[in-house]
Amino acid sequence: MSNKIAIVLLVCIGVVVLLAISELPLYGSPDTPAQNYVAERYIEGALSDTGALNMVAAIVIDYRAYDTLIETTVLFTAIIAVFLVLKKGTDRRGEHK
Amino acid sequence: MGELWSRILQNYPYVFALALFAIGIYTILTHSNLFKKVIGINIMEGSTYILFIAAGNIRGGVAPILDMGDPELVYVHPLPQALMLTGIVVSVSVTALSLALIMKLYRFYGTVDAKEIMKIRSEVRANAGRNQ
Repeated sequence: MSNKIAIVLLVCIGVVVLLAISELPLYGSPDTPAQNYVAERYIEGALSDTGALNMVAAIVIDYRAYDTLIETTVLFTAIIAVFLVLKKGTDRRGEHK
Repeated sequence: MGELWSRILQNYPYVFALALFAIGIYTILTHSNLFKKVIGINIMEGSTYILFIAAGNIRGGVAPILDMGDPELVYVHPLPQALMLTGIVVSVSVTALSLALIMKLYRFYGTVDAKEIMKIRSEVRANAGRNQ
Protein backbone atom coordinates (compact mmCIF):
# COMPACT_ATOMS: atom_id res chain seq x y z
CA MET A 1 0.00 0.00 0.00
CA SER A 2 2.67 2.48 1.01
CA ASN A 3 4.62 1.37 -2.10
CA LYS A 4 1.75 2.54 -4.31
CA ILE A 5 1.54 5.91 -2.53
CA ALA A 6 5.30 6.35 -2.98
CA ILE A 7 5.10 5.48 -6.69
CA VAL A 8 2.19 7.92 -7.31
CA LEU A 9 4.06 10.67 -5.44
CA LEU A 10 7.27 10.04 -7.40
CA VAL A 11 5.44 9.99 -10.75
CA CYS A 12 3.85 13.38 -9.91
CA ILE A 13 7.26 14.85 -8.99
CA GLY A 14 8.86 13.19 -12.03
CA VAL A 15 6.40 14.73 -14.51
CA VAL A 16 6.98 18.21 -13.10
CA VAL A 17 10.77 17.77 -13.19
CA LEU A 18 10.58 16.40 -16.77
CA LEU A 19 8.75 19.61 -17.78
CA ALA A 20 11.56 21.58 -16.10
CA ILE A 21 14.18 19.50 -17.95
CA SER A 22 12.51 20.34 -21.28
CA GLU A 23 13.07 24.04 -20.49
CA LEU A 24 16.74 23.62 -19.55
CA PRO A 25 19.41 24.80 -22.01
CA LEU A 26 20.40 22.09 -24.48
CA TYR A 27 22.87 19.53 -23.12
CA GLY A 28 26.41 19.89 -24.42
CA SER A 29 25.95 23.13 -26.31
CA PRO A 30 28.84 25.62 -25.84
CA ASP A 31 26.61 28.71 -25.33
CA THR A 32 24.63 27.64 -22.27
CA PRO A 33 24.53 30.08 -19.33
CA ALA A 34 26.81 27.69 -17.43
CA GLN A 35 29.63 28.30 -19.90
CA ASN A 36 30.17 31.94 -18.96
CA TYR A 37 33.19 34.08 -18.15
CA VAL A 38 33.92 31.99 -15.04
CA ALA A 39 34.91 28.96 -17.10
CA GLU A 40 36.86 31.19 -19.47
CA ARG A 41 38.75 32.79 -16.57
CA TYR A 42 39.66 29.44 -15.02
CA ILE A 43 40.71 27.87 -18.32
CA GLU A 44 42.82 30.83 -19.43
CA GLY A 45 44.23 31.85 -16.05
CA ALA A 46 44.90 28.51 -14.37
CA LEU A 47 48.42 28.09 -15.70
CA SER A 48 49.63 31.66 -15.11
CA ASP A 49 47.85 32.00 -11.73
CA THR A 50 48.73 28.66 -10.17
CA GLY A 51 51.16 26.86 -12.45
CA ALA A 52 48.96 23.76 -12.56
CA LEU A 53 48.14 22.04 -15.85
CA ASN A 54 45.11 20.30 -14.33
CA MET A 55 42.45 22.98 -13.87
CA VAL A 56 40.37 20.93 -11.43
CA ALA A 57 43.41 20.54 -9.20
CA ALA A 58 44.13 24.27 -9.57
CA ILE A 59 40.60 25.13 -8.39
CA VAL A 60 40.53 22.63 -5.52
CA ILE A 61 43.99 23.35 -4.16
CA ASP A 62 44.66 26.97 -5.12
CA TYR A 63 41.60 29.09 -6.05
CA ARG A 64 39.40 27.46 -3.41
CA ALA A 65 42.09 26.38 -0.97
CA TYR A 66 40.13 27.52 2.09
CA ASP A 67 37.18 25.39 0.94
CA THR A 68 39.47 22.36 0.80
CA LEU A 69 41.02 23.24 4.17
CA ILE A 70 37.64 23.41 5.91
CA GLU A 71 36.60 20.27 4.05
CA THR A 72 39.28 18.39 5.97
CA THR A 73 37.56 19.68 9.12
CA VAL A 74 34.35 18.03 7.90
CA LEU A 75 36.20 14.74 7.46
CA PHE A 76 37.87 15.13 10.87
CA THR A 77 34.54 15.83 12.58
CA ALA A 78 32.96 12.81 10.91
CA ILE A 79 35.83 10.55 12.02
CA ILE A 80 35.67 11.87 15.62
CA ALA A 81 31.89 11.36 15.65
CA VAL A 82 32.26 7.79 14.37
CA PHE A 83 34.80 7.00 17.10
CA LEU A 84 32.56 8.59 19.76
CA VAL A 85 29.53 6.60 18.60
CA LEU A 86 31.39 3.31 18.45
CA LYS A 87 33.22 3.83 21.75
CA LYS A 88 32.76 1.02 24.23
CA GLY A 89 31.16 2.45 27.35
CA THR A 90 28.16 2.34 29.59
CA ASP A 91 24.77 1.65 27.99
CA ARG A 92 21.41 3.15 28.96
CA ARG A 93 21.03 1.01 32.09
CA GLY A 94 24.42 2.15 33.39
CA GLU A 95 26.01 -1.29 33.05
CA HIS A 96 29.59 -1.37 31.89
CA LYS A 97 30.11 -3.39 28.72
CA MET B 1 4.12 17.89 -27.90
CA GLY B 2 6.73 16.50 -30.31
CA GLU B 3 9.00 19.43 -29.62
CA LEU B 4 8.66 18.86 -25.88
CA TRP B 5 9.70 15.22 -26.23
CA SER B 6 12.63 16.06 -28.50
CA ARG B 7 13.89 18.65 -26.00
CA ILE B 8 13.59 16.12 -23.16
CA LEU B 9 15.42 13.47 -25.21
CA GLN B 10 18.21 15.88 -26.08
CA ASN B 11 18.67 16.54 -22.36
CA TYR B 12 18.98 12.81 -21.65
CA PRO B 13 21.68 13.09 -18.90
CA TYR B 14 19.30 15.17 -16.81
CA VAL B 15 16.57 12.56 -17.34
CA PHE B 16 19.03 9.89 -16.22
CA ALA B 17 19.83 11.92 -13.09
CA LEU B 18 16.10 12.32 -12.39
CA ALA B 19 15.58 8.55 -12.74
CA LEU B 20 18.42 7.82 -10.32
CA PHE B 21 17.05 10.38 -7.86
CA ALA B 22 13.59 8.78 -8.03
CA ILE B 23 15.09 5.32 -7.45
CA GLY B 24 16.95 6.67 -4.40
CA ILE B 25 13.86 8.33 -2.89
CA TYR B 26 11.78 5.22 -3.58
CA THR B 27 14.37 3.09 -1.77
CA ILE B 28 14.36 5.41 1.25
CA LEU B 29 10.56 5.60 1.44
CA THR B 30 9.67 1.94 1.00
CA HIS B 31 12.43 -0.02 2.75
CA SER B 32 12.50 -0.25 6.53
CA ASN B 33 15.99 -1.79 6.58
CA LEU B 34 18.32 1.03 7.65
CA PHE B 35 21.22 -0.21 5.49
CA LYS B 36 18.97 0.01 2.42
CA LYS B 37 18.02 3.55 3.39
CA VAL B 38 21.73 4.48 3.44
CA ILE B 39 22.16 2.89 0.01
CA GLY B 40 19.21 4.99 -1.23
CA ILE B 41 20.82 8.18 0.08
CA ASN B 42 24.03 7.28 -1.77
CA ILE B 43 22.13 6.67 -5.02
CA MET B 44 20.51 10.13 -4.67
CA GLU B 45 23.94 11.71 -4.14
CA GLY B 46 25.21 10.00 -7.29
CA SER B 47 22.32 11.49 -9.26
CA THR B 48 23.23 15.01 -8.11
CA TYR B 49 26.82 14.49 -9.25
CA ILE B 50 25.63 13.42 -12.69
CA LEU B 51 23.26 16.42 -12.97
CA PHE B 52 25.93 18.91 -11.96
CA ILE B 53 28.74 17.58 -14.15
CA ALA B 54 26.41 17.17 -17.13
CA ALA B 55 25.46 20.85 -16.78
CA GLY B 56 29.11 21.83 -17.25
CA ASN B 57 29.73 19.58 -20.24
CA ILE B 58 30.39 20.68 -23.81
CA ARG B 59 29.85 18.26 -26.68
CA GLY B 60 33.28 17.55 -28.16
CA GLY B 61 35.09 19.12 -25.19
CA VAL B 62 38.02 17.43 -23.50
CA ALA B 63 38.86 17.01 -19.81
CA PRO B 64 40.18 20.30 -18.31
CA ILE B 65 43.85 19.37 -18.35
CA LEU B 66 45.86 21.94 -20.24
CA ASP B 67 47.42 20.67 -23.48
CA MET B 68 50.15 23.10 -24.60
CA GLY B 69 50.52 21.45 -28.00
CA ASP B 70 46.97 22.15 -29.22
CA PRO B 71 45.60 25.65 -28.48
CA GLU B 72 42.34 24.95 -30.37
CA LEU B 73 41.04 22.41 -27.85
CA VAL B 74 37.69 23.06 -26.17
CA TYR B 75 37.75 22.31 -22.45
CA VAL B 76 34.67 21.44 -20.41
CA HIS B 77 33.79 23.60 -17.37
CA PRO B 78 36.29 22.68 -14.58
CA LEU B 79 34.29 24.25 -11.72
CA PRO B 80 31.44 21.68 -11.38
CA GLN B 81 33.98 18.85 -11.28
CA ALA B 82 35.92 20.58 -8.48
CA LEU B 83 32.71 21.22 -6.52
CA MET B 84 31.57 17.61 -6.89
CA LEU B 85 34.93 16.53 -5.46
CA THR B 86 33.90 18.43 -2.33
CA GLY B 87 30.46 16.82 -2.45
CA ILE B 88 31.94 13.32 -2.58
CA VAL B 89 33.88 14.00 0.64
CA VAL B 90 30.70 15.17 2.39
CA SER B 91 28.77 12.13 1.16
CA VAL B 92 31.49 9.78 2.44
CA SER B 93 31.38 11.50 5.84
CA VAL B 94 27.59 11.23 6.04
CA THR B 95 27.70 7.55 5.03
CA ALA B 96 30.38 6.72 7.60
CA LEU B 97 28.48 8.44 10.41
CA SER B 98 25.13 6.85 9.54
CA LEU B 99 26.70 3.38 9.29
CA ALA B 100 28.30 3.87 12.71
CA LEU B 101 24.91 4.88 14.16
CA ILE B 102 23.31 1.80 12.58
CA MET B 103 25.99 -0.40 14.19
CA LYS B 104 25.17 1.16 17.56
CA LEU B 105 21.44 0.59 17.02
CA TYR B 106 22.10 -3.04 16.11
CA ARG B 107 24.10 -3.57 19.31
CA PHE B 108 21.30 -2.02 21.37
CA TYR B 109 18.18 -3.50 19.74
CA GLY B 110 19.53 -6.55 17.92
CA THR B 111 17.99 -5.52 14.58
CA VAL B 112 18.56 -3.01 11.77
CA ASP B 113 14.89 -2.83 10.78
CA ALA B 114 13.30 0.56 11.55
CA LYS B 115 9.80 -0.88 12.05
CA GLU B 116 10.99 -3.53 14.53
CA ILE B 117 12.95 -0.89 16.45
CA MET B 118 9.78 1.21 16.71
CA LYS B 119 7.86 -1.85 17.96
CA ILE B 120 10.49 -2.58 20.64
CA ARG B 121 10.48 1.05 21.74
CA SER B 122 6.67 1.19 22.06
CA GLU B 123 6.65 -2.05 24.08
CA VAL B 124 9.33 -0.69 26.44
CA ARG B 125 7.31 2.50 26.89
CA ALA B 126 4.08 0.56 27.59
CA ASN B 127 5.82 -1.58 30.23
CA ALA B 128 7.29 1.51 31.89
CA GLY B 129 3.81 3.07 32.08
CA ARG B 130 2.36 -0.08 33.67
CA ASN B 131 5.00 -0.16 36.42
CA GLN B 132 4.41 3.40 37.54
